[in-house]
Formats: sequence, C-alpha cells, structure tokens
Amino acid sequence: MVQRIRSRIALVDDPRQDCWLCDAMYATQLRRLLSELAVDGANSISCGSVDSSFAIQAKRLPRLREDQLDAVDAFEQGGRRGLVVMPTGTGKTVVALSIVAKAQTSTLVVVPVRDLMYQWHAKILEAFGIDAGLIGDGVHRVSPISITTYDSAAIHMPRIGDRFNLIVFDEVHHLAGPWRADAARMSIAATRLGLTATLPTNTEKLAQLHCLVGETLYQQSIDEASGKTLANYSIRRIAVRMDESETQAYRGYGKTIQQFVSLCREENPTFQWEETYKLVADAKSNPERAMAASAALKAFRAKRKIEEQTRAKFRVLEDLFRLHAGSPVLVFTGSNVMARQISLRFLVPCLLSHCAKRERQDLLEGFGSGRYPVLVANRVLDEGVDLPMVKVAIVIGGMASTRQAIQRLGRVLRRSPSGEAAQLYEIVTDDSNEVKRSRDRRRNTAYQVSKRRPES
Amino acid sequence: MIRSEHSIVTYDFVKREVTPDRLMRVRDLVYLEAAQQCIDVYRLGLGRVRQELHGGVEDCLGTIAGCPPRRIAAFCKLLDDAGEFAQPAGKAASFRKRVFELSSPLHPIVEQREGIFEHDMQVARQQIANELKLTWEQIEDRLFDDVIELQKLRQFPDSLSPEVLLARYNLAQTQAALYRASRVRVDVSTQAPFIIRQAKLAGLMHRVTRRGQGYRMVLDGPASTLRETSRYGVGYATILPSLLACSEWSLVAEVLGPQNQSFSLKLSPEDRLSSETAPPPEFDSELERNIAERWQREPVEGWSLERDREFLVQQQDVFTPDFTLQRVDGTKIYIEVVGYWTPEYLQEKQQRLKRFSNNGSDTVRWLLMLDRPPGQAKSALLQSLNLPLVVVSKKNGPQQWIRTALESE
Repeated sequence: MVQRIRSRIALVDDPRQDCWLCDAMYATQLRRLLSELAVDGANSISCGSVDSSFAIQAKRLPRLREDQLDAVDAFEQGGRRGLVVMPTGTGKTVVALSIVAKAQTSTLVVVPVRDLMYQWHAKILEAFGIDAGLIGDGVHRVSPISITTYDSAAIHMPRIGDRFNLIVFDEVHHLAGPWRADAARMSIAATRLGLTATLPTNTEKLAQLHCLVGETLYQQSIDEASGKTLANYSIRRIAVRMDESETQAYRGYGKTIQQFVSLCREENPTFQWEETYKLVADAKSNPERAMAASAALKAFRAKRKIEEQTRAKFRVLEDLFRLHAGSPVLVFTGSNVMARQISLRFLVPCLLSHCAKRERQDLLEGFGSGRYPVLVANRVLDEGVDLPMVKVAIVIGGMASTRQAIQRLGRVLRRSPSGEAAQLYEIVTDDSNEVKRSRDRRRNTAYQVSKRRPES
Repeated sequence: MIRSEHSIVTYDFVKREVTPDRLMRVRDLVYLEAAQQCIDVYRLGLGRVRQELHGGVEDCLGTIAGCPPRRIAAFCKLLDDAGEFAQPAGKAASFRKRVFELSSPLHPIVEQREGIFEHDMQVARQQIANELKLTWEQIEDRLFDDVIELQKLRQFPDSLSPEVLLARYNLAQTQAALYRASRVRVDVSTQAPFIIRQAKLAGLMHRVTRRGQGYRMVLDGPASTLRETSRYGVGYATILPSLLACSEWSLVAEVLGPQNQSFSLKLSPEDRLSSETAPPPEFDSELERNIAERWQREPVEGWSLERDREFLVQQQDVFTPDFTLQRVDGTKIYIEVVGYWTPEYLQEKQQRLKRFSNNGSDTVRWLLMLDRPPGQAKSALLQSLNLPLVVVSKKNGPQQWIRTALESE
C-alpha cells in the first residue's frame, strides 16, 4: 500500500519516529488516496484541528465585474488550487474575498508586507464583519480567519499549518524560494489561491509555484485591463542636472572607478564591474586588490548618492508640489535616506520600515483624508497598498526592476470614481546612469501602454 | 549572534570542508589592537548615533589590509549587542505626528516665496519651533531618532575587553556558518543530558546512540527527513555555546554551500573557541550532592555509582536516571531523585517513570530517593509506581539503598 501511495506522493521513511512522513501540503491528496485504497478508518483520518464550525456571512461584498467573475469561476472550475493573474488595480482582493466567502472555511491570508496585513484586516472586517487574527508585526493572534506575512508564515507554519482549510497567497511570486516555500509546504490547506500581477519569468520559480499552489487558472494582462478598469495616465520624465560641485565630485568618483576597472582589465580582459564585490570579499588571497576594490565600491556608492540626492531634484520637487498643491501627491524614493531628506526639507511625512503599526495607519489614513498633503515612501508602499485618490505620483531614483515599476504604477492607476487621468513623474539625473535605468524601466509593457495614450 | 549576511567562510572544494572566519593566529594580533580601538569608539561614544559609531568602527578596521566589509559589519553588530541603545519608539512617532500636522497647512514649503499662498522654509521652521517650544536643531535631532541607524548609544559595559570581543567574533562566525547547516552530529563524553535539553529548547529532534564511554547525538528538525533544509540552522547555532561549556566534545555539521552542495564543518576543543555560557552545574540539587558525597565516604564493594550515566531513549523522549549503581556482574540500579516538586511536575515524572521503568530488563532495578518522608499527595502518586523508595537520612547509607532496591520484586 505504501508503495502505491509513494508513486503519487513523496513519502519518506522517518526512522527517528518510526513512521512515514510527507509534507503537510499533501494531506488532502493522502486522505483521498487512503480511502481509494479502502484503508480501514480512512474516513476518520484526523487532519489537523481545522475549525469548521463557523460560517462566513458576506455583509458588504462589492458586486463583481465580469472579469472578476470569470476569475472566480476559473478558480472554482480548476479544482480550487491555482494561480490567478490580474494586473494591479483590477480588484484581486475582491476576487479573493468572494472565494473566501464561497469556501466558508477557516482561512489564512499571506501577504508580503505588514501594511497589507492591516489593509486585509480592514477589508475582511468590512466584507464579513469578522475581526481577523494577525500573525506578525509583534502580534500573534491566531483565529479561524487570520492574516500573516510571508516571513511569519514560514516561521510559524509548523505550528499553525493544521488550522486552515483555505490559504490565500497575495502577491504569490514572493512564495518561490527555499525558505518561504515552507509557508505552503507546511500547510494542510486543501484550497489554495495565489494572486499576482506578474508571474515570475524564471521557469523554475514558476514550476515551484505550480507545485506549491497550483496551475495558472486565470490570466489577464495589463493591456486588457487598461481603459476598462484602470485610469488613463501619462508619464513625464524630468531630467535634472548636477551643479558644478556635484559634477566635479561625480567625475572624481567616476575616475576612481575607471582606474580600478582598467587595472583589473589589464590582468583579466573580460573583467566585469559586478566582480568587484567578490574581490572585496576575497581579502585573504589578494589584500591589496581587495582594498582597491573596496575603495572603488565606496566611490561607486558615493556616486550613486550624488545621483540620487542631487540638489536639483529638490528644486523640481518643490515645483511639482507647487504645481499640484491641493491634490494628494505620492513620492517614491530609492532609499530611506532620501525619503527622510525630503521629509525633513518639505516637512511632509514619510512612511518607512521603522514606522510601527499605529504610525502607518495614521499616515495612510491621514494621507487618504487629506490631513497630510504628501506622503513620501520607499519600498514599503511598493505593493498593493490602496490609495485610489492619488492622481499624482513622483518617482525619484529607484531601481531598474520591472516588477517594481509595474507595482508602483499600479498604485496611481487605481480607478477613482471621478475617472480623471493620473500623472506620473519620474525625476532622473542627467548625464548619469539614472537615465539609462529609466530607459530600462520604460521598456516594460506598463510604460508601453502610455505610449499608446499620449498626454492630451 | 551576527546576521547571516555577515558570515565569512572558506570552502575547500577538494576536501568538501567549510571553515568559518577566525581571528586567533599570530598574524591576527593587529585585530587585538583594532578591537581595543573599536571598544573605545563605543565607550567614548555615549550619546552618539549608531551610524556614526559604525563609521568609527570602519575607520579602525578598514585600514587593516585584508579586512573584508563583512568582518567590519560583524564587529559593528557585536558591539551594538554589547551596548544599549535608546529606543524612544512611541515618543518619536507622536513627535513626528505633531510636527507634520503643524507643517501640513504650510505646504508647499518653498525655499523662496513666490505665490501668496506659499510659505518659505525659514519662516515655516521658526513657526513650528515656536509652537513646540524647541529650537529647529532640536527638532531635526529628534524627528527620526527611533530609526535604527539614528538611535543613540545609552550604555556600554566597562568590562568588555578586546580579547573577549575577538572571542565573541570567532564564536559568532562559527555560529553563522551553522545557520546554513542541514544536520549536526555531536559526540560528548558526559553532559549529554545537558546538550539534549538545549537541543530540545532549540526545537530540534535527536537520535542518541551509545559510543564508547560517551554518546553520539544526531540533531536535526522535523522536516529534515523530507529535504536538505537549513530551516533549523539557527537552532544548531544556539546550542553551540552550551557545547563549548562541556569538557570533551566534537561536532560535525553538514552545511549547505554553493549550488546546494554539502560541505562539512568540524569543530572540537582544538578550535579554541570559547563561550561565556556557564558549564552545567555539577549537581541539580542539594540532595544529589548529598548522595554523591555519601557514596564517596561509604562506598560498597563490588558496586560503582555514576551520575547521568545511562541514557534511556524512547523515540524523541529521553530519560536519564540521576544516578546509576552498577555491580561488577552488570546488575544496574537506576536512581531517580525526587527532590523539589509540584503536583504537575510529579505527575509528569510519574508518567515518564512508568513508561521507562516498565521497559526494563531482569538486570535492572529502580530506586526512588527522597530527602524527607512524602506527604499524603506525594505518597499516593509515588505508590502507584510500585517502585522501592528510600528517604535519605543519617541512619541509612549506600548499603541500605542497594538492599532496598534489590529486595523489591
């Protein structure tokens, strides 16, 4: 019998406890197999301490749009285990909530950042009138409907994995990886939903998600969504110049880097800048080169800093604040330091990782209600935080990462009742690498949409 | 402990061994001096913010040829951990709220006023400072003082010596190498129960086997049978200081290296690592000490008494009788000392005793030893065990203990 099960499920002999062992994620499959094989008592196999004695009543669940209904149907038809891919701003959360309402069972929602935990909490309270449990951010309150972050889930799943029948992975691309995957493996949940705007392009990671959650059951691209559910928007790139002293320092650092690179190329013609990190770390075999590499790296960081924090950016920011005085403006920076500098210069709040729960809530709520005119953020706001009233966003510096650009755009693009067009600014330093990174960003579909919708 | 991103290891791809970074050779003497300088940076840096202190440490260590950035970061972490930083968490947030609420109506704050609705920076700052009855410098200083890198050092111990700092560094790097371990094998001569206790506290599982005079323990975690995982790495790292406190030991860890290949990390007292963890106490209670001393004074011929000698294992449950009396012919008496107790404690112990004492063979006897006659509740619990019992007093000695144990059947 064990052999027959092993052909379907990875069962392992565990001599430590003299038993067979498999990941908790196979619990449902195992139970089915055992009853198929007509094992005595297979129907009474106890499987965790799932609480199924409660009912979820949809109090204020928004009406689903057609594409959202399609997504829910595709999930139900597809065996209730799988991925739903919809662009940011098309109401993934609503889709998830209606799946939760249909499932009528204990549910765990896993989200990437703490802000989202509180946002889900508020949405569940609104939709079902249930005060959901929280696991993470110093709180450990497990209840039949709970919300947690990916890291907390990976840590605590051995203890809470048997308590939920439905598990929802919001921004599911975060699940791939050896450590976080435990959040899915160690859960017995029979119903598994993964939500994302962007599936991983890496085939290995995608295969892992298919194994841990399920196949892709519904997919909608940003092209399909724009116009229908997303606001129209335009992107303005503003290039600023460094001043004389900045330019000089910038060139000085550039020279240090160039000299270092050409020195390395003399020995190794195929030397790439990325290898510098290795040279720094390898102080043992070549201490002098490591020192030089370390100096070059310092110069590189100083250069980046000038680029990111060019004084001219503050002037442009000032003008944009002037221009859009009266409407909420969201500012994204590439670093915490820059975010704090802007905060200090313009005396506007910044939402950073050090902000605790209460402060985050105050900032988001205050910004939403107009109590704060501007909110500065780095990556904390990157994903899924709802601020539909924001129609002006300014990106300062930042990475060339595709995903980040999409998510950041998604924020501004949520359709608001007024339907007015959103404006996205990007401030980059001219004559620097930032211009190149900005170009990289624009190659993405998210930006190509805007090409077809030129500023009116 | 340091963060895993501070970990420095060398992989030997031929021998498949991994060696954590260590500063203990003659050529590392330069670090002793630098460690003293780093300590001085902190000692003289009370009231300074974390990032400045880190800058100071970087100045001390960055000039040493061959000192990688991770080593510097690791020293910063160890020094931070030795000191104590002010954490005005709630206060800073409410202070910010106050400032931004005052500044909000002044938005946008511009360098030079052009429109009539704008506010210039100097005036705005002054206005807010007046409102809060502080200077602008004070406001700037306090606005983000809960941000980790801007927290101020409040205390630093006078006692920390450069030698201790280096020892902590060496230990911390070895622990960090263990974060990537998938399985650990520990050999100890004595003190096995102590290590098992630590392993259990760290949430690990164990397989114990007898090996010569000592014990071999293989430690891993529940999911380790399913896949090579470094999930329990921190657990292995936390028991290392306790292991260092033991006298004779060795450890071999399987560490996941580049491309998930397995490397072994070998440790023994020869590595000269040291921990500040106290060795386990020789005796758990006064009664145990009494019993051992009594035996020393009045040994019984043909018998030997050893502490924590036997190790009874039932899957993940381990029972160590406090003493084992052994006769030359192999007959054993397991002695369990029932000293301090609460009803719950005793109930649990009774359950365990029941399970383990039923499993015994013909050559094994059990004996419970108490420091005073049991009260009614205790007596009832002990009687259900059906094991011989001795109340240690001046009147009875080792001779009588053995007789009581052997006569019971």
